[in-house]
This record gives sequence, C-alpha cells and structure tokens, in this order.
Amino acid sequence: MQSFNIVVYVFAAIIVASAALVAFSRNLVYSAFALLFTFFGVAGIYVMLSADFLAAVQLLIYVGGILVLIIFAVMLTHRISDVEISNQSLRPAQGALILIGIMAVLLGVIFKTQWSLEGQLEYQATTALIGDLLLKKYLLPFEIVSVLLLAALMGAAVIVRKEVRGEQSGGKS
Amino acid sequence: MRYFADWIIENLEFTRAIPSEYVYLIIMVVGGLLLLLFVVPMAGALTFVERRVAGKMQSRIGPNRVGPQGIFQFVADGVKLILKEDIIPTAADRRLFKLAPYIVFVGSFLTFAALPFSQKLIAADLNIGILYIFAVSSMVVVGIIMSGWASNNNLSLLGGMRSAAQIISYEVPQILSVLAVILLTGTLGMQGTIKAQGWAPQHWFLFHNPFAFIAFFVFFISAVAECNRIPFDIPEAESELVSGYNTEYSGFRFGLFFLAEFANVYVISAVAVTLFLGGWNTPFYLPTGIWGLLPSAVNLAGLITFLIKTFVLVFVCMWLRWTLPRLRVDQLMTVGWKYMVPIAFFNLVGTAVWMLVWGDKSIAALLGG
Amino acid sequence: MRRYFLNIWEAISTIAKGMGVTLVHFTPARKSITIQYPDRTPVPVVETLPERSRGMLTFDPDVCDACSMCAMTCPIDCISIDRERVEGAKGFVLKRFDIDMAKCMYCGLCTEACPVKPKGLEHTREFEGATDRMEDLILEFIDEKKHRELVEKALKKAEKLKAAQNEE
Repeated sequence: MQSFNIVVYVFAAIIVASAALVAFSRNLVYSAFALLFTFFGVAGIYVMLSADFLAAVQLLIYVGGILVLIIFAVMLTHRISDVEISNQSLRPAQGALILIGIMAVLLGVIFKTQWSLEGQLEYQATTALIGDLLLKKYLLPFEIVSVLLLAALMGAAVIVRKEVRGEQSGGKS
Repeated sequence: MRYFADWIIENLEFTRAIPSEYVYLIIMVVGGLLLLLFVVPMAGALTFVERRVAGKMQSRIGPNRVGPQGIFQFVADGVKLILKEDIIPTAADRRLFKLAPYIVFVGSFLTFAALPFSQKLIAADLNIGILYIFAVSSMVVVGIIMSGWASNNNLSLLGGMRSAAQIISYEVPQILSVLAVILLTGTLGMQGTIKAQGWAPQHWFLFHNPFAFIAFFVFFISAVAECNRIPFDIPEAESELVSGYNTEYSGFRFGLFFLAEFANVYVISAVAVTLFLGGWNTPFYLPTGIWGLLPSAVNLAGLITFLIKTFVLVFVCMWLRWTLPRLRVDQLMTVGWKYMVPIAFFNLVGTAVWMLVWGDKSIAALLGG
Repeated sequence: MRRYFLNIWEAISTIAKGMGVTLVHFTPARKSITIQYPDRTPVPVVETLPERSRGMLTFDPDVCDACSMCAMTCPIDCISIDRERVEGAKGFVLKRFDIDMAKCMYCGLCTEACPVKPKGLEHTREFEGATDRMEDLILEFIDEKKHRELVEKALKKAEKLKAAQNEE
C-alpha cells in the first residue's frame, strides 16, 4: 500500500501546514482563510478512509457553512487587524508541565490503539449505510439533534427580531 | 475513467511494467488535462455565443468581424486579457488578491470531474456524484469573499458579502429540490440516475410526477442564482456595485473569474440534464470502436445527445439573462427563503408521498400500464 | 396567504410573457436593425442621403468663367481664386482655385452664387472627408497642366469667335 501511504502523508502535510498557518499567523484573516485548506485536507483523509459521504458532507458543511461563518465574523469585526493579542501572564514552567502531560496521554493513546487498517480497506459506498444507521439504530440521537438545530434556528430568528422590534415601535409583524 | 485505464492496461503492453496505481494516476492526470482543454475553449466560446444571442434578442448583431461570423472573438478577447497589465492595488492584500481567482476557478473546475458525457465517458463515476458536485462548488463562496476582502475596496467587500449570502442561501433549495429526484432513483451517482431514465421524454424525471416537474424549476432557478447570473447578479452588476468583487481585477485574473462563471453555467445545465432531462439516453447506439480510436463501448450518439441537451439549457440560461431585470438584494433573499425553500420542501414531501403510494412508477408508466 | 400564490402565479406568467417576446426576437421574424457601416451597408451610405444634401464641394474647371462670385460670397473666405487675363482671349482664366474644406461650413452660398449653367461649383453628398492632416483638407483644383489647358481652350475659343465674326 505504498501509494496509499504517500497520499495520506501528503494530505496530512497539508493539514498540518495550514493548521500551523491558522495558529501562528499574525493576520487573523489569513488564519481564517487557511482553515479552508485544513478542511480540504481532512476531507481528503476521509476519502482515503473510504468515508465518501463524510468527505462530501465535510466540504459542504465545514467549507460552505462554518468557514463562511468564521470568515464573516472575522471580517465584520471592527478593526480586527489592530487587535494586539498579548497575554501578561507568561509562566513557562507550568505551561511546559501541562504540555508534557497532554502529549504523554495523546502519544500513549496513539501507540496503544489497534489501527485496524492493515490491508483491510475495502471501498464501499457508505451513504446507504449511514442513512440506515441514522434511522434505525441511532434514531433517538438523530431526532434530538434535529430538535437542537430547530431550537438554534428559532433562537437566531428571535434574537434578530427583537432588535428590529426595539427600534420600530409597533412595526409590522 | 477507470474503464479507459483498464482498457489501456489491457491493450498497451508497456504499461504493465509500472504498478497499476501509477498508470491510473497518469491517466487521471491526462484526463484532467483533457477536461481543462475542453472547459477553457468551451467557456470562451460560450462568451461569444452569449454575445451573439444577446444581440439577436436585442435586434442587433453581436460581434461578427473577427473570423467568419466572428467566431474567433473569444480568442481575441482571451489574448487581450492575457496581454493586459496586471494591476494590483497598493493597499490590497497581495497574497489573498492573487489566490482568490484560483480558488474560484478550482472550485468551479473540480465539479467537471463528476459530470457524465456518455455511458463510459465520465472522469470519475463517484457513488456520491451529485453530493460531490454541490460540496465542491461551495468552495466558490470562500473564493468570492476572499476577492471581495482582498481588493480593499468597500464596494467590492459589499459585493463579496452579498454574493456569499446569496450563494449559501440558494444552496438550500437547490439541494432540497435535487433530493426529490434522489428519492426516485435511490442513488447519488450520476450514471445511475441517468440509467434510471429512458430516452423518450415521458420517461425523463421531468415528467415523472408533478413534484419532480416543479423540482426542476426550483433547481434551475436556484442554480442560476448560484452562478450569479441575471436575474440574480447583484454582486457583480456593473451599475450596482461597479462590478462587485471583481472590480479591481484586470487581465488574466479577471479572465479566470469570467471563465469560472461560464464553466459554472455549463455545470448547472449538465446537472439539470442528468437529473431531469434523461442525460445521454438514446434510442440507438453509435459505437466509436469502429474507428479504432476509442474503445467500442463509447457511445457517440449518447455524447451528442448529452451535449445538445446541455447547450439547450445553457441557451435557456442566456435567454433568461436577456429577458429579466435584476432582482434587488432583499427581493433576492425573499425569493430564496420565502418561496423557493417552502416549495422545495413541498416537493420533497410530495415525492415521498408519491413513492409511498405508487413506488417509483412515473405518470407514463401508470397511464400506459 | 392568497397573496403568496398570486405572487407565484404572477411571477410565472410575466416571466413566460417576457421570455416569449425575447424568443420572437431570436427567430428570423425580427431582423436586426444594425447598419454595418462602413463596409457592409446594403446601399452605399452616400446614396441614403437626400439628393440635395450639402456635402463636400466639387468643382468643374472647364465650365468655370473665373467670375470669382463664389469667393466673394463665401462668408468665411475659404475659396481662394487667382485669375489672369490672357492676351487674345476674352475673360479670365483660372490660375488657382483652392477650397479650404476645414473652414467650409457647407452653407451653400457659393453654389447659389455660381452663374454658369451647369453649375461649376456644386455640393456632392460625400461626407466622409476626414484626413490625417489639416493640409490635406485644402482642395486644389488647378495645377500647371490644367492652367495651360484652360489657357489654350480660352485662346481656341477666342479664335473660333474671331473666325465666326470674320465670316459675317
């Protein structure tokens, strides 16, 4: 599976490089736009793992929805390039300790897990399977999530309406 | 494409020396280049056709001097755009300014990988075909916002924001109306959807049931809004926002935006033909293997049928453009959210009810027996 | 609620009507009204102008009797005439006849003042007279050769007249 490894490493490199850009860039707008490449890389990894539906939905939702939302938020924030992000408290010793602890936990999990992909990857269409699972085995979580989304939608509508109502007295409904 | 790759490995001996994955890779790259060679001249030719059609509809002649009947006009335009000075405003964000047209074009061009041309002529017959097309074309939104921001021009920013809002608003009814058809076929793959239709008009999904009929119009209107075409071209209208997000672009960068727009028009027409108008189905079969150029399974009649149907829909897009005035941005949002989305939901529920009662039989099958 | 469906119906019907109109324009029933000037016009453009249009001036030196009424009538003095008397012939002979079309205002007074019939100075329908240099706009109708021709003609005319008088 040599070429498989190469492709996975390429996508991983894209993800890590653009995530580094997101985290370390001085310009917030650059960070927001570098997320695009991160999401693309993640979609690529999903494709390599035979999760085709998930890859497409990742692009649709993350790039088409969440990234646009983040970019709107970054751009519409007043004078965002003038914000000086500086934290007064700089304690390297405690920070390093926490860092080593988290790294130890993560590395332990990574090396102890059985990554069951050694030559067992078969590419199958997952859409029907996911639909099946969502409506049979995981029906309750699915319905709860849809109620949650409905609540979020209604909340957004209510928040926006209240502002308009406050400005116009007795405006039309 | 996989079919071609297998055919090449079978027939050309020397390709067996390298492992088959690399042969696939090379063939995919060649296929991508061929698609690019198809898309760029076609998008250029479409600009010329648009101008002639516009002229005819406005009782005047379009460009007819460059070449016989002016068919080389788009070549002249392309050469002019390439030779123009590449101006980047001083206050603009250089990196994002340069990156934006490429993201828009790539987002537009990636969709061509899943478009069918004939029974076997499809770059990648993904089993999430339609979903892939919609997913990848959502990259265009980010590119447009990027170009609006990077121009450092408040009208461009406004144009970019409005365009982004318009595109993400109209993605909802677009996908909902397509869901009605997906219910009928049970597969997301493009070739599967075409195979589920027949060659005669009564077997197309357009006339399958009244909900699919309405779904076609909802899809077409939403897709036209996705492309920023009139009547939904507030973000790039010349009299509104001084050409919106592509104001500051000159030369080839502007050409890329333009190409992406016309490539998008082709893509939405092709998707509409695939889903609703029967795709490449023909009553007879014209193999091309007899000339030894392509394997005999490539159906030339299917290719011609598909291209004719797609270009008819492209003509309808242009026809709409030169008929209707532009919608104001709040009217645009009203049409999207208050009319298109409820109608699309109604279609979805209606199709589901139809399938409950009659399975996936079309009206023709019910009447004809 | 009713308004909602009425809106939908209105939208569909008006769009359909509009598209019908544009489609009719697309068929050969409506010809395009463009005139592809200058090389693909159905008739040459000068012929579409009325007969008596005052275009650029043309001059026939052979009928002109050098009365220089045109030069005197011109309100802008764009006609320059040099004439001389030839011994043995009656009347004047033209040595130089220049019209400066850059100054000419196409009023037609010079053509009305010309006394000979048929007119020596006439307007044509030609209007495409733009040139690259201002100097090219000065039309010079008499050069050395023409001057000598005119002198010979005048002398011949004078001889014929004398011969006719002698016969009487």
